[in-house]
Formats: sequence, structure tokens, C-alpha cells
Amino acid sequence: MAANYWDSTQRANWTFSKAQLANIRSELEAKDRALVSQYPLPERRHLNIYFYHQFTKLGRRMSLRQQPLATAQVYLRRFYTKIEIRRTNPFLVMATALYLACKMEECPQHIRLVVAEARNTWPDVFLADTPKLGECEFSLIAEMNSQLIVHHPYRSLTDLQGNFSLTQDEISLAWSIINDHYLTDLPLLYPPHIIAVTAIFLSVVLKPTQSSLQVHSVGVSNALQALGNMQGIGASGAQSRVQKLVNWLAESSIDVEAIVDCTQELISLYEVWETYSEKDCKDKVHRFIKAKGLDK
Amino acid sequence: MLSGGYTSKKRVMERYKIIGFISSGTYGRVYKAQGKNGEVKEFAIKKFKPDKEGEVQYTGISQSAIREMALCTELNHVNVVHCVEIILEDKCIFIVFEYAEHDLLQIIHHHTQPSRHAIPARSIKSILWQLLQGLLYLHRSWVMHRDLKPANIMVTRAGEVKIGDLGLARLFYKPMQCLFNGDKVVVTIWYRAPELLLGSRHYTPAIDLWAVGCIFAELLSLRPIFKGEEAKMDSKKTVPFQRNQMQKIVDIMGYPTKEKWPLLTSMPEYNQLQSLLASTPRVHRPIGLETWYTSCLKSNQYPSNSSVDSPGQEGFSLLSGLLEYDPQKRLTAEKALQHPYFTTGEKPSMNCFEGSTVEYPHRRVSQDDNDIRTSSLPGTKRSGLPDDSIVGPAAKRHKAEDRMWK
Repeated sequence: MAANYWDSTQRANWTFSKAQLANIRSELEAKDRALVSQYPLPERRHLNIYFYHQFTKLGRRMSLRQQPLATAQVYLRRFYTKIEIRRTNPFLVMATALYLACKMEECPQHIRLVVAEARNTWPDVFLADTPKLGECEFSLIAEMNSQLIVHHPYRSLTDLQGNFSLTQDEISLAWSIINDHYLTDLPLLYPPHIIAVTAIFLSVVLKPTQSSLQVHSVGVSNALQALGNMQGIGASGAQSRVQKLVNWLAESSIDVEAIVDCTQELISLYEVWETYSEKDCKDKVHRFIKAKGLDK
Repeated sequence: MLSGGYTSKKRVMERYKIIGFISSGTYGRVYKAQGKNGEVKEFAIKKFKPDKEGEVQYTGISQSAIREMALCTELNHVNVVHCVEIILEDKCIFIVFEYAEHDLLQIIHHHTQPSRHAIPARSIKSILWQLLQGLLYLHRSWVMHRDLKPANIMVTRAGEVKIGDLGLARLFYKPMQCLFNGDKVVVTIWYRAPELLLGSRHYTPAIDLWAVGCIFAELLSLRPIFKGEEAKMDSKKTVPFQRNQMQKIVDIMGYPTKEKWPLLTSMPEYNQLQSLLASTPRVHRPIGLETWYTSCLKSNQYPSNSSVDSPGQEGFSLLSGLLEYDPQKRLTAEKALQHPYFTTGEKPSMNCFEGSTVEYPHRRVSQDDNDIRTSSLPGTKRSGLPDDSIVGPAAKRHKAEDRMWK
């Protein structure tokens, strides 16, 4: 449950291996061959970045905090493991996911307000009214089997930050890294505490000097090296904070391989981010919406 | 829109045969049903209706329905009502539960009939034990129930106690906004903890333990221990001080003091409490919980010594630990389960009917309205605003004392 990720539906039903996830997606695409080839989509992470920006735009109008945005992103990701994206209007699905996430995260927004703000945010592609959003809510909940409670890494971060006496800068960098992980498949692949530990590790290794969300990949590869050398590090020697963290990792039963993998996924995200083009994403998404009349 | 719109992959009528109507409340209606796949199992199907009567369009699902759906699918404990599946069909939500033949309200009611006796002491012990086990599970899962009352506590034919109706339950791990902002009014008035009555904004799971205390007292005496009258919300939607309810508590428990409850003076309604003290001299001569308890045992003919047939002095000690004014000193579910009331003498049974010869009537199921597909029948009128409204307070759940034998 909320306190217990181990008994949660998230762990039981919404955490996949990479192979499973790839399978689910290729089966979904196989059912809609023509559609898929007719409307190519941007690289998945670019699309996620684009959707994240759209969520943020809508969320800002309603002065929402990070948590409902994070939950909404997870809903979107889960929904699109069940439904081919080109059969939907992603803007409607996003507005609905956010409406639902707000109720789940105890900051409810009136449905009419969400519809009005979505129309203002996306005047070209969002023409839906309240009944449409309400109908979409039914789809969203049904596809997710009413499993709406999402465990986020933010809480593990809060719980763990004391252990490592993180500075304010490090905490906010770790927080940003957690925000970024929603742009990857990581929320569908790993438990929240693994993500939190990865974010803490990176924030300590990288020494948050840069204010930008994007982290230098050089720093990250240093981090990876530190992880790789874990076995070699003894109890003696200078107890730098990085080493202390590495020792902690070695002593805890945490899956270090998972942390290495998460780190790599994040580096790769930051590399891919360099070539992100909002226009390209927008064009490709708008194209299938318009062509199939999904905005009506 | 999604191409094609929404159609349910599961159909209620294909999977279940509706046997009859059980009850209705603010949320909608509950039906008794049987599985259609040849299994003899029985179910209770809770149908959430659209906010407006006869609504033909989707209007968004109320926050309490969302909470209940999410919690039901996540929770899994023998003392929490088990959800079999959820079906979203024709703009309605159907939550399918395992059927429970009885509930505590009905059991208490059965014993109040003339010529009947008190509830056997070992049944009460088993009921409390199971109730607290379920509550411990909820609290460990960071779920506050917020609406515990006899009508919401189910009992199966096998004597298993199951906490039901999670419509007001919510997670309490580091709430983003203080709990008070969400639902201004929680817990049916008779079971409402003093910190809620005094306007506390950051209340805790301790409110559920106060309710357990009230339920314990009601099982012993067969009537609500603090049966106050509710002050209604005025037209400005401000929450009134529940003076009469506070009075009922003070009549028995005495006036709370800041010596015993250090944070008392910082309660928003503290001034109201003082005016209550000033205006009613009776509060200076409370009955006292111990006197109440002793005379309750006597009038219901429980032996005064501790034995299997009496809750005894341990029962009093547990009750006073639950009906503790200061929420920080009140017993937690975990501590209550370790109380000598449970640990000394006979071990509590997981079947509350064990050793009892009382035959309880079956849940009344009416045949007049067993069409689950129609929604605009009387008795489903919703009171208060839907609680996902940004302006309105919570639906006034406490108004609906959904008593099924009425």
C-alpha cells in the first residue's frame, strides 16, 4: 500500500522487465501496422519530453505541484502500454490523466476547470467538453484496472536524505533527477527506492554546480566508474562522501546492477535531449490527430 | 476522442445475476448478486450513480468513488472487505464485493429487541479483535478510514469481521495540503473524535481509534454512547461547532483539561468549549466513564468479575484507553491489540459467533427494485455537493444513516 510498495499493484502489475515492455509494445504496434507506418512518431523519449512540457503548461495554469504531474505521467505511460497512441488524442488523455491524478493526490480540480484550461492551453487540438473528458476518465481507469495508487521516489528521497547528510543543492539536484526519470521507461522498470538511490548517488557524485536540469554525461560516467570500482574500495582510505555512499550501497542489499542501469538510462536521456525538437514532436502528434479527426 | 469512445469490456449483467436490493446511500445503491458462471458465491455490488439523477452524460467521477476504487484494489486483508472486481459500464461504476450476511448495526439492533440478551462477551472480544486487526492493517498502509461506525463494519456468516465503506478513507502520508482542506466534515457525528469536534486541522489515525471506543461501548450497552444531535452547516457553508455532541461526551467523560491534554488550548474551537463549560453546570458533575461502564455491565447482566462471560475490568481499561481525550495518548491499533483485555483469559476467536447460540436474521434483501440498470428511483438522492468540487465541502455523508431495515 501507500507505505508498502512490496504489496502494491504497482509492483505486481505495473513493473516490467525491459524484454516484457518491448514485447507489449511490439504486440500493440503489430495490431495497427498500417496506422503505425503511416504516422511515424518521434523517438520515445523525445515524445515524453514533449508530453512533459505539455503537462507542465497545463499544470502551471492550475498551480499544481510536482506530485500530481508525476502521477499523471505514470498514468499516461501505463495507458499507452494498453492502447495504441495513434488511436487517441494524447492531449485529451493528458488532461484526463491530470484530472484523475489530482483527485488521487488529494488536490482535486473541478472537471470544468480542467476542460477550460486544457482548451486554453491547446486551442488547436483540444476541443473536448466535460462529457468527453469524463468518458476518457472511464477508459483510463478501466485500462489501468482501477489501480491508481502510484509510489514515487520523492518519498524515498525524503526518507534517505538524512542518512547521507545531503546539502540543499544536492537534494534539489536529486529531486530534478527524479523529475527527469519520468521521461524514460524507468518508472515502469524499477521500484521507486532504486530510482531515489540513483538520484542521490548522482547528485553527490556530480556536485550540483550547474543549475540546469540536464546533467553532464562526463560527470555521470565518473559516477559509473565509482560504482564499477565498488568492490575495490575498502573500509580504509579517505572517507569522502562519495565513498561513504558507495560503502553504504555495498553494505545494503540494494541491487547495484539496477542502479547502474538506471544511471545509464539517465545518461542516455540527457544525450538524447540534445537533439530534442519541440516542433518536430508537435508536428508529428498533431498530424495523426488532425488526419484521424481525433480532436473532434 | 479515443476513436470509438468508451465501451466496457466487462458487463455486469453478463457476469452477475441480481437477487435484490440491499440499501442506498449518498453514493448510490447496493445490490445482492450471484455469479452467473455456475458458482454459488454471493456478492454485494455497490453501484455509484452519476452525480445528477438521470444524468445521461459523463460528469467526472467523484473523489470519494475514486478513493474507494483505488484503495479497494490495493488493500488485501482478511478483516477488510474484499473487492472482487470493478466494472465501469454505462457511465456507472460497479464495485463488486464479497457478500457479508451481517453488519454490526444489524447485530446490535437484533439484541435490542425486547426479551433478548446482551451480546455475548466473547463475541464482543472477537469483534473488537478483528476490527482492530483490520484497522492496524489500514493504518500500517497509511490509510485512515475516517468513517468507522457499526453500519460500516460487516460480519460474514462465518463470523469474520470486515471493515467496509472506504469512501471517506484516504492516505495520510505527508499530505500535500492539510487534511482539513479536503473534506471539512468526516466521521458520522456520534463516532467523531473530540479533536475533530474542536476543529483540529491536522488530525491523525487516532480519530479511528476513538470511533472504535464508541463502537465498543455500543456493543456493550446496545445504544450509541454519545448520541448527540448534529448542528447543520449553515448557508455560508461554515462548519458549526458541534455543541450538542461535545456536551454528550462531556456529560460522561467530564471536561477535558489542558493538564491531561496539553494541546487542548490550541484547538480552534477551544473558546466554544469554554463557553460550553460556562453555560452548563452539569459538566462539573460528569457521570464518569467508570460509573457508566459499571452500570452498563449491570443492566446488561454481565457478571462483574472477569470471566469469559464478562468484559470485566480489562474491558474498562481498554475502553478508557480508546476514549482518551488526547489523541497523542489514545491507544493506537497496535497498542490496543496488546492490551490485557485480549492477552489475558481466553484467546479471541477469529469467528465472532463461536460459542454463541444467537441466530441473527439474514440481511434484508428487497425485491421491489432489483433492476441494477435503472438509476432514477427514490432513495438515491444525494445530499451535499460532490466532494471533488473546488468550492464545496465534502458530501455530508453523516446525514445518511443508511439503515437497511428502516
